[in-house]
Amino acid sequence: MNNKHIACGIVTLFIVILVQLTLWVQGHRTKVQNEAGAAQQAETDANAQLNQERAQLGELRRQSTDLIEFLRIWQPYFTTIDNPQSAEVNLSMRIKEANLVNLAQRFEQAPVKGNASIPNTMRAFLTFEDDYARLMNWLGELEVKMPTVRTSSVRLAKGTRANDLRMEVVLEQPLLKK
Amino acid sequence: MQITERQIDDFKSERKDIAPPLPVVLRLVPLLFYCSIAVAVILSSIFAIQFQLAVQKRDSHKAQTASLAAQTQDAKNQRTALESQIKKATDIQNWVASSRPLQPLLVEIIRSMGPRSSIVDLRLDREAGNPSQIKMGLRMGTDSTKQLDLTVEKIALLNYRAFSPTQTLGRGELDYKATLVHQDPLRQQTGEVSQ
Repeated sequence: MNNKHIACGIVTLFIVILVQLTLWVQGHRTKVQNEAGAAQQAETDANAQLNQERAQLGELRRQSTDLIEFLRIWQPYFTTIDNPQSAEVNLSMRIKEANLVNLAQRFEQAPVKGNASIPNTMRAFLTFEDDYARLMNWLGELEVKMPTVRTSSVRLAKGTRANDLRMEVVLEQPLLKK
Repeated sequence: MQITERQIDDFKSERKDIAPPLPVVLRLVPLLFYCSIAVAVILSSIFAIQFQLAVQKRDSHKAQTASLAAQTQDAKNQRTALESQIKKATDIQNWVASSRPLQPLLVEIIRSMGPRSSIVDLRLDREAGNPSQIKMGLRMGTDSTKQLDLTVEKIALLNYRAFSPTQTLGRGELDYKATLVHQDPLRQQTGEVSQ
């Protein structure tokens, strides 16, 4: 091997280095191109997912229009009285205002089964003995003015006087979950 | 003083090539080297440009994907909020539906009493598990079932349907028990039309 052969070897080595360098650049390009392809696929998937989610949301909105409108109308009635104290005070005030003969009244908080939005109610156990018309008018007015109140039990019996009724009523004031 | 070209050549004495010449194939190596430089530069430039474009494309797709993911999340949040609202509305609707006023029913039952009949005891209790169902217990002072028929008729006019009715007549008193369920007249009509 003479110096010419050595020079040839060195030049060949340079050629190999150049090829390797070019292949390295190509490899990087291919890698990034693959990443770009994967990113494009991810974008397509994300776009499809967004469209699906929007379609579901739109369908849900369309289906629930009446319910949401119902909620918009009724929710203020439920939020007016949302704690046991105000429920008790409100009912007591209405009884006092009506000036009915109230024989007994008792309040207790009770859980509501199967209703996550209204977990509790304030139950009022009331006993009256008064004129039939006054009692019925009071109950009717209460049910109209406080539409959220549920009359869960009523018992009517004759009162001590001719026109009197004895009314035992259980009223439930819903306490909406905050 | 200037040295002439000839004089310079004089310094380097004529001598024979020490090493033998390279074979023809190896003489192509320098040519291959120059060619490889040219090709490497051209290809590397192309690859570099493609690399830059791919990087831009990848970053653009990634940014767009992130934006779409954020929009999807926003839509999901909206859907979750809407579902929560629907649940709340359904719960409130169930409450309202099972809180129908009882006073009109009481008044109608009381008004249905004829002159020879009277209410001894009237009881309306909502069932704990299903408050839209009302258990009715009516004890009347009457000597015939005609009064009961009239009362049941009046109850039916308020769109209440009586289930499992039982009646016991004895000692001038009639005991009537039934479960009342309110029937929505609009829904009934819709059902009839669809049938």
